[in-house]
Amino acid sequence: MVSYLVTILSLVAIISILGLALNLQWGLCGMVNFGIAGFFALGAYTAALVALAGGGTFLATLCAAIVCSIACAIVALVSLRLSDEYLAILTLGFGEVVRLVVLNEEWLTHGSLGLPGIPRPFWNWIPEDQYEYWFLGLLGVVILLLYLALERLLRSPFGRAIRAVREDDVVAATLGKDVVKLRVKVFALGGVIIGIAGAFHSFYMTYIDPSQFSAILTAYVFMAVIAGGRGSNSGLLLGSVGLMAVIEGTRFLKDFLNVFDATQLSAIRLILIGLGLILLLIFRPQGCFAEYRLKVKKPAPEPRKTAAQTKTSTT
Amino acid sequence: MAAQYILNGFVSGMILALPAVALTLVYGILKFPNFASGAMLTAGAYLALIFNVYFGMSLLWAAIVGSVIFAFIAVGIDQAVFRQLRDRTSITLLVCSMGVSFVLENIARFIFGNGARSYDLAIARPKHFLGLRINNEQIITAVTVIAAMIVVYLILRHTALGRAMRAVADNPSLAAARGIRRESIVRWTWGITGCLTAVAGVLAGMDRAIDPLLGWNYIVSTFAAAILGGLGNPVGAVIGALVVGVVEETSTLFMPPNYRQIVSFAAIALLLILRPQGLFGVARIKK
Repeated sequence: MVSYLVTILSLVAIISILGLALNLQWGLCGMVNFGIAGFFALGAYTAALVALAGGGTFLATLCAAIVCSIACAIVALVSLRLSDEYLAILTLGFGEVVRLVVLNEEWLTHGSLGLPGIPRPFWNWIPEDQYEYWFLGLLGVVILLLYLALERLLRSPFGRAIRAVREDDVVAATLGKDVVKLRVKVFALGGVIIGIAGAFHSFYMTYIDPSQFSAILTAYVFMAVIAGGRGSNSGLLLGSVGLMAVIEGTRFLKDFLNVFDATQLSAIRLILIGLGLILLLIFRPQGCFAEYRLKVKKPAPEPRKTAAQTKTSTT
Repeated sequence: MAAQYILNGFVSGMILALPAVALTLVYGILKFPNFASGAMLTAGAYLALIFNVYFGMSLLWAAIVGSVIFAFIAVGIDQAVFRQLRDRTSITLLVCSMGVSFVLENIARFIFGNGARSYDLAIARPKHFLGLRINNEQIITAVTVIAAMIVVYLILRHTALGRAMRAVADNPSLAAARGIRRESIVRWTWGITGCLTAVAGVLAGMDRAIDPLLGWNYIVSTFAAAILGGLGNPVGAVIGALVVGVVEETSTLFMPPNYRQIVSFAAIALLLILRPQGLFGVARIKK
């Protein structure tokens, strides 16, 4: 049971890292990324290939982050003159491209057979029976560092500028912000985080194949971000824990619903995810946690108005 | 040999034309790209499968009944989901359409499983004409799509509904000032969308096997077609679809056939860099 919990928590951690990336790209800067699964796969495969070639896990993570960030920057650059819908379409298309390349370039990725035997970080230093706990701890440290860095970023002038771009890019441009540069930067930065998530996914699984990177993953991440509240990093972390609790909890439904087979149960789960996404957007678009805002000090009480002034202000 | 590829490309482009026009109509009225378009296509294909295989109707009648029912389903989805989000940003609608897409696709998966199905359709020998091989399915596709496109064109150009649709797409507040009821136009648009997408589902299901990911295979190409024609421009979408079909099919001459969608993606990317308003679109000033 404990090892089951550790597994689930590790998966939650990886989804959370992806969520932090989406929260940066979409939550803070308003740039929708529907290709998360694709960028994630790109990161995972890059890391796996570098690590398998003997590059070491640190270099592998670095390469994954760089490759993903470049891919994100290119996609953002292509769509930079256009409205947000085009970016969404392009990222979706990019995700499909990655999936097809991974499936078909067998000399590199072994196609649907996948890549086995990916090395893990610090594998030789830690006793095998404790490794899972240790890896979860490592993931926790990574999330903590990313979280602190992003919270810092959010409260910096850069953070305010990107939120201004999200709210109204024309106004931001009028105020002298280089909107294009900011958007590309944010998207690339999100790519770095997705790349790290991909690398850790590879290390954790030690075996990757294309079926691990389906579009459902993108839906999970969106759901976590929406449930937690767009723009709120702490909300996102709670959102992804809650989401995984629901997803994993429904696995136990099979004990009560014997009439359905495995395919049907997974279909039910995905229907619930879709419905959850729709219901959240309709009834609670702001999510469970509000975004950080600069607090305005309470204005000093206004001087008392004369009767005549009150009259004019009410009319 | 090349002529055969161009012919095949033309016909697969015709299948794309239907969802591309549907996508562009919804974009025109509601200003968001409907990501559920692929799943709607899948759902339409399965709906016709029910009537064809389980109720024993001929495929023609199954397609007609299926697409009419699916038109109502599409209106129902709009009323239940998108109507609640009318005043939100297009991105919210987009994310929501992804949710709709998951629900539709997995209802199909829940009922029919992951296995591939096919319609109950007599297999006919392909005809030969001027050295070209023409399948029966290709003729059916061509006839259906051309008929559907003529009907849509007539509706848009020559009926009060079509004029109202174009008016709402062009300028919603002006249209409202002229007494056009937007909600009713939105419902009609979803009805037409549902109908076209379901027909495309049947044609796609004839072309390849029906499985829950049927529509997903078309989604990038559909978007490529609609963007190529300029989002919101139905005639452009048809031409865009034909171009995408021919380019994808001829690309198999020198690329692995699995990479068709990559060709579409490259086409979108190139076009967005060079001519963002689409081949036939007019540059528009925002806000």
